[in-house]
Amino acid sequence: MRIGLEVHVALPTKSKLFCSCSADAQEPNTAICPICLGFPGSKPMLNEEALHSSLNIANALHCKINKNTYFLRKVYFYPDLPKSYQITQLDGCVGLGGYVQLEKKKVRIRRVQIEEDPAKIIREDDYCLLDFNRSGIPLNEIVTEPDIESEEELREFVNELRSILYYAGVDIDKEMKADLNISLGTERVEIKNVTGIKNLIDATRYESKRQSELLSHNQNIKKETRSYSAESMSTVSSREKETDEEYGFIYEPDLAVYNTDGIGVLKPQIVSDIAKGYAEKYAASKETLKELVMFDKESLRLLEYGVERSKIGTVISAISLLKRTGSTSMSNDNFGKMLEYMNKGMLLNEDTIKALEQNRKVEVEKGAVSSEEIDKAIKELISQRPDLVKEYKTNPKAFNFIVGIILKRYKVSPKYVSERLAEALR
Amino acid sequence: MTSSIKEFAKKDKPYDYYPRLLEELKKLNSKLNMFSNISDISSGFPFSVKDNICVNQVESTASSQILEGYVPPFDATAIERLRTAEFSFLGKTKMDEFGFGTFGINCKEHPRNPFDEKYVTGGSSAGSAAATAVLKYHVSIAESTGGSIACPAAFCGVVGFTPTYGLISRYGLIDYANSLDKIGIMARHSEDIRYVFDKIKGSDQYDTTCIDHEIASKTAEKLVIIDQLMKGVDDKVLSSFDKLLSRLENMGHKVAHESVPFIEKAIPAYYIISMAEASTNLARYTGFKYGLKINDFSKGYNEFFTEARSSFGPEAKRRVALGTFVRSASVKSKYYEKALRLRRMLIESLNGVLKDGLIISPTMPIKVPKISEAEGLDPVQIYGMDSITAPPNLSGLPHVSFPYDYVDGLPLGAQLITSHFNDYALLDFTERWEKQFEYRFKYNVGAL
Repeated sequence: MRIGLEVHVALPTKSKLFCSCSADAQEPNTAICPICLGFPGSKPMLNEEALHSSLNIANALHCKINKNTYFLRKVYFYPDLPKSYQITQLDGCVGLGGYVQLEKKKVRIRRVQIEEDPAKIIREDDYCLLDFNRSGIPLNEIVTEPDIESEEELREFVNELRSILYYAGVDIDKEMKADLNISLGTERVEIKNVTGIKNLIDATRYESKRQSELLSHNQNIKKETRSYSAESMSTVSSREKETDEEYGFIYEPDLAVYNTDGIGVLKPQIVSDIAKGYAEKYAASKETLKELVMFDKESLRLLEYGVERSKIGTVISAISLLKRTGSTSMSNDNFGKMLEYMNKGMLLNEDTIKALEQNRKVEVEKGAVSSEEIDKAIKELISQRPDLVKEYKTNPKAFNFIVGIILKRYKVSPKYVSERLAEALR
Repeated sequence: MTSSIKEFAKKDKPYDYYPRLLEELKKLNSKLNMFSNISDISSGFPFSVKDNICVNQVESTASSQILEGYVPPFDATAIERLRTAEFSFLGKTKMDEFGFGTFGINCKEHPRNPFDEKYVTGGSSAGSAAATAVLKYHVSIAESTGGSIACPAAFCGVVGFTPTYGLISRYGLIDYANSLDKIGIMARHSEDIRYVFDKIKGSDQYDTTCIDHEIASKTAEKLVIIDQLMKGVDDKVLSSFDKLLSRLENMGHKVAHESVPFIEKAIPAYYIISMAEASTNLARYTGFKYGLKINDFSKGYNEFFTEARSSFGPEAKRRVALGTFVRSASVKSKYYEKALRLRRMLIESLNGVLKDGLIISPTMPIKVPKISEAEGLDPVQIYGMDSITAPPNLSGLPHVSFPYDYVDGLPLGAQLITSHFNDYALLDFTERWEKQFEYRFKYNVGAL
């Protein structure tokens, strides 16, 4: 099986690609102007934020950056395309010839390019509505070579790509759209416009099964375009003419050739590489590290700070604790203090973490307790309330009641207290 | 006085000046079809605008049926810059549909030459030239892609100035061929052109291809005749042009002859690039967002679009078809890309010639033709009429057409080309010329 993808994600810009309309308006047709409606007389003006952002992505995907990048007109007629041409890129695109490193292979990236999104079509029973808020939203298209050879590799690739995009500033909670090229035989089948990762995996699974069944019955796989239905979890032929589409590309004469030399790019963050490095250096689980930092910049920052100062086990526990309590803005210094407490065997409660986060004075006696203190408190309680201890054997609620008393006093992790209590009662 | 703008400002106007001006103009317009609409102005120096340049809240159709009813919600940048207390928007002028034409006859109720109504105005800025020949105090904001300012200026006996590509913002211009389109100015006096040019030029955030650039006025004694451009020029035009040359020699100029490789390929290169771009620009006219609207939504979108697009005129259809062909994948390198290379070569060789001289020639290879004669020409013959105006337009070089003779009661125009950003040299030249040659007009509507 060979799979190639054309992935589209929205570039993280405040305004649209060629005008100053907002890129995230909600009420339909409120973020529109003569430019994104394609009114005669209007001209595009490039949002350089989009160019910078696309450069960051191309760079993180190890692409060769085009010194001079330019735009083309791709002409086709469809109701959602205001000018009846899309401003896009090909040879003069932002980046060419990169790759994404997976565990066992590289998936080559053919190109990274900028283009404008058409309007959104809302289909009703006997009519359609158009929302031009989406018209002109900057998209980044990432085209891979057909190097993905299994569902597992597809998952791994998508996960890696999303992490790279996340670290390049893309909002990965927004829908990812992809055209999926998949061939088990010699002919390529293209599944257009698959939305979301679950659908991408499901479409691949269905299509690989369909094609392998055809092959096992000695039937031909037709070169065609298909579409995926999430409802039926299957692909159907789009019944389009299978000639190569004619888009009549010409240079976009309303835009300049943009020199990328002077534009500084961010240092790319390939987080799985970083996780792998730490895992090897400190003998920790790579999977655990990846899970912590693949999609979390704050955690990556704390990890990088923490490993220099503490045992990696404590750092991992501390970051996990912060994730559990929903902390998002712990400074390095305060994280250092947190590690200190934890290395002393103290348990930190939510209040303590909040105090650290907000740079308030931490009242260690109240907020942070040592594990010995918890054990002591449990022992005391057991000796003071033999009634409860007796009852707990017949009524499990009594156990939780004891835990509750301890928690009220110390506000630490219920799980920890349960564990210690069970230990004490044994 | 050589500036009608300054003269107009100084003169006292009678209380009913504007109503009378409008009345006279409207009467004449029913005969000459210069304007597609006329505004009721009551102050300021009047300016007209070619119908492919957007004026806020005024129907702007580029003389195309498919844009009937298109009322842009914005001013073109050039118009916005000109709209001051001093200038008043008088009306939109007729043109060949989308700029597709050399004679001004590719539209409904086309304009007629003010010198003689049986004759064409030239195109595509047809109404702009005719209005300039009719109104005493007036300038027109016109546009040239391949000669659409120089040609009608020559045929109507006015001065037509096309600046260096990229000096006047195209924002608000309904595109014909974006890499060739230039907004320019027509007037009866070169000083007026300079005045307006200085007001409207300069960079604009809404047009990426428009820049601020210092404009030079490097004068040159040497006037260069490109021999290839003179081939095919009508004998009567040639003999009159020779008289102009002797006159210019008397003024101190030296005439030299040179040849420019591939200059005769300017026409095919121009038509290939312009049609390729035009066919993409015209793709947006699909009959449901602006202009002509198709109200039968029962059809599939392809049939719907096809029905809307059937209202293009024959020349627009021809250019969409040819333009789509020359950029199609299988022949693109043979036509579109080759034409782009040729343009680059031509710019280089013309710049060589222009280093120490100005290029001069008749603007058009023929005398002003009768409307009936123009109607009898086939498309290739018509395209051939751009042989002299195509090279500077293809190269984005500034050029001006100015009247220099009158034969059988009709004007003849000469074209002067200079190097990029030396635009003032052209106006310096024509201002000197106007000191010793008086332009003639049949009408002087609005005279004081």
